[in-house]
Amino acid sequence: MSLPRADYDPRRVCLNPFPEFTLGKHRRTAGVYIAGALFALANWVFLDAAILSAHMKPIWGDEVPVHVTFVDWVPGICSFIGFLIVNIIDKDRIRGDEGFGDSRAVWRARLFLFIGFAFMAGGLAGSICILVLKYVLGDYPEQFSYYGYANVTQNVAMMLAGVFLWIAQNTSGEYEYNLTL
Amino acid sequence: MAAGLKTVILLSFVLAVGFLLIILSCALWQNWLPLLVALTFVLAPLPNAIFSHCGHDDFSEYEHSGPIDLGRFITSVVVITGFAFPIVLAHAAVITGGACVMSIVGGGLVYGTIVAYSAAFTQDESEFD
Repeated sequence: MSLPRADYDPRRVCLNPFPEFTLGKHRRTAGVYIAGALFALANWVFLDAAILSAHMKPIWGDEVPVHVTFVDWVPGICSFIGFLIVNIIDKDRIRGDEGFGDSRAVWRARLFLFIGFAFMAGGLAGSICILVLKYVLGDYPEQFSYYGYANVTQNVAMMLAGVFLWIAQNTSGEYEYNLTL
Repeated sequence: MAAGLKTVILLSFVLAVGFLLIILSCALWQNWLPLLVALTFVLAPLPNAIFSHCGHDDFSEYEHSGPIDLGRFITSVVVITGFAFPIVLAHAAVITGGACVMSIVGGGLVYGTIVAYSAAFTQDESEFD
């Protein structure tokens, strides 16, 4: 290993590789806009399924076999909580730079970051669970599995929004010195 | 400044066309839900306008500024909402496809007018610097 000596801190077990992006002058703005667009798209895809379910009229039988219920909302809510937690944390705390308070604050920030990512991953896993258990394994006509796919899309897009926001906020500024990560 | 007058007239014309399309999309089918699209697009530049005054020092222009990012995020969310709302309504068969297309085009014209107007205005302002 011929890593440059200043590039890592041997006291740290987990290195957070913050990627350095240089996408031009407006990279930060563009990233934030893309994140917002993805976030809105995520929620509108799911709301589309919910509204479609609410307005579904029975065509062949007496009643519509399956509806979007509160269970379908839970993964999205989990993802949203995770999204909020991940993006509220001050990124400088996670880097653990000197002069940013004590080390316990860094530890706590990483713990909360972990919880936030766990919420997001849990939301994604839960949406896939609902897709499989409720819509694929249930004996419903083909068109109702759209609800499950919309749910998965919502959670994937919300995760992508979080990724974009993270990248946008971690691009090094113009007059900023290169942080050793 | 002569070009500015022409720009203002053109933009107001486009704005009127946009509102005309939205109102037509409501009135032709007697379903006034697409009017919310106009409201959404009118409200879209508001977060940027509010949050751009937060944390705008001389020093922090190149710093990470959370409030400005939040304003941009909300703006983007609102704009996408304006485009997605008629599509969702049309998908759920609340409004017809024609109303959906008309309200989207009208809303796009309204928002484009607002963006173009603010862009032209800030460009004029920076010429004096």
